[in-house]
Amino acid sequence: MIHVKDLQKQFGKSHVLRGISCDIAPQEVVCVIGPSGSGKSTFLRCLNALERPDGGEVIVNGFAVHDPKTNLNNLREGVGMVFQRFNLFPHMTVLENLIMAPMSLKGLSKPDAILRAEKLLKKVGLLDKIDAWPTSLSGGQQQRVAIARALAMEPSIILFDEPTSALDPELVGEVLAVMKQLAQEGMTMIIVTHEMGFAREVADRVIFIDQGIIQEQGPPSQLFTAPENPRTQAFLSKVL
Amino acid sequence: MTGFRWEIISEYSPLFIQGALMTIKCTIICVILGTSWGLLLGLGRMARADKGPWKYVLHYAVQWPVRVYVSAFRGTPLFVQIMVVHFALVPMFINPRDGIFVTHGLMSVDFARDLRTEYGAFLSCIVAITLNSGAYVSEIFRAGIQSIDNGQMEASRALGMGWGKTMRKVILPQAFRRILPPLGNNSIAIVKDSSLASAIGLADLAYAARTVSGAYATYWEPYLTISVIYWVLTFMLSLLVQYMEKRLGRSDSR
Repeated sequence: MIHVKDLQKQFGKSHVLRGISCDIAPQEVVCVIGPSGSGKSTFLRCLNALERPDGGEVIVNGFAVHDPKTNLNNLREGVGMVFQRFNLFPHMTVLENLIMAPMSLKGLSKPDAILRAEKLLKKVGLLDKIDAWPTSLSGGQQQRVAIARALAMEPSIILFDEPTSALDPELVGEVLAVMKQLAQEGMTMIIVTHEMGFAREVADRVIFIDQGIIQEQGPPSQLFTAPENPRTQAFLSKVL
Repeated sequence: MTGFRWEIISEYSPLFIQGALMTIKCTIICVILGTSWGLLLGLGRMARADKGPWKYVLHYAVQWPVRVYVSAFRGTPLFVQIMVVHFALVPMFINPRDGIFVTHGLMSVDFARDLRTEYGAFLSCIVAITLNSGAYVSEIFRAGIQSIDNGQMEASRALGMGWGKTMRKVILPQAFRRILPPLGNNSIAIVKDSSLASAIGLADLAYAARTVSGAYATYWEPYLTISVIYWVLTFMLSLLVQYMEKRLGRSDSR
């Protein structure tokens, strides 16, 4: 479903990704961990071309992301993304946030789009906020709306870029609960996160990125308890 | 000074009313055209591509000309621009004898002649002020668009929305709310600056005052009168802007 081979990315002089290769299967839940500045967010953003790869191969859902001729809008319709800072559209109500893209891109009629939005809001437990403005919601609620907004396009993959890092500690749980539910329903998810407990519980595979390459990967039971790479060991000893 | 002679004003009141209507008409047309033109220029000013042939096309064929344009129109007096437009630019296109529109058959000789005699000053005024305010408005739009958090663009693009759709539905509605106050100031400036077009014979408020002062050799009454009218117009405009700000402020941006 996702095939990455020797992915390279540079910002000016700094070489952020130095050859990342991995394959991700349908319905797999992958957590990406690593120190800040290690390139894990950049890696995620290369998957839906928010950053253009400088080298290597990235194929997502059959779209060649590295190829300049690929229609990126079509690719992105099938790949949802949830951001650290939520990025809800503040000039639209919750409902309008959810129906804009499906109506504009998938040709959904307004009643159909509203129906879909209501179903998704029920799923994230925010049906009562359907007419609220995003700024009136708590961080956790905003992030759940953002997840619903991504789901409204019925993507086959969702990318999470540190979805709980901007939240107050007591609000993290509600967002993780929604993500966990998605994982159980079989959504393909790639999650950049600092929530090690969540990664251990939900992930099928954990990838540890440092200095722009995958240092180590494996099932959480193995990577968290018996890491082989000394960098992984050093990192985990700091965060666990 | 012998006090304010009301009879002068009342005798010429139709002239003042017509002048005020002309000023209002010019302002409305120039605000609409100038804002649209400014939006186009503002987008052109920001047009860029990361790589590929478009990078150079956009940089040298779009961004640079817009920069020069904005710099030129902000760096020269509007009065001079009105003169240039009226006596050089407009005749170049619609002169009954050798205007480009006439020689290329886009316009009949009679039509061009009528247009020049009936609406010459009006047309020049609209063109000059639109070109001028477009330069200012483009910078307002640019600042407004750039003030919107980049996360908004990313979130919309990540949903699969193209650049144009994102601009129209996500970025511009938010930017517009922020730039409403400077756009309002710009409209107020247009109300006042349109008075410069009286120099090319546009029958606006300032022209009315000039006519009356010529007839009676008195300046105090006519110019005080149009000052008050200009003030009322700009004051009402500022109320309108305030009202729109309140309407658009409903959702309260971050």
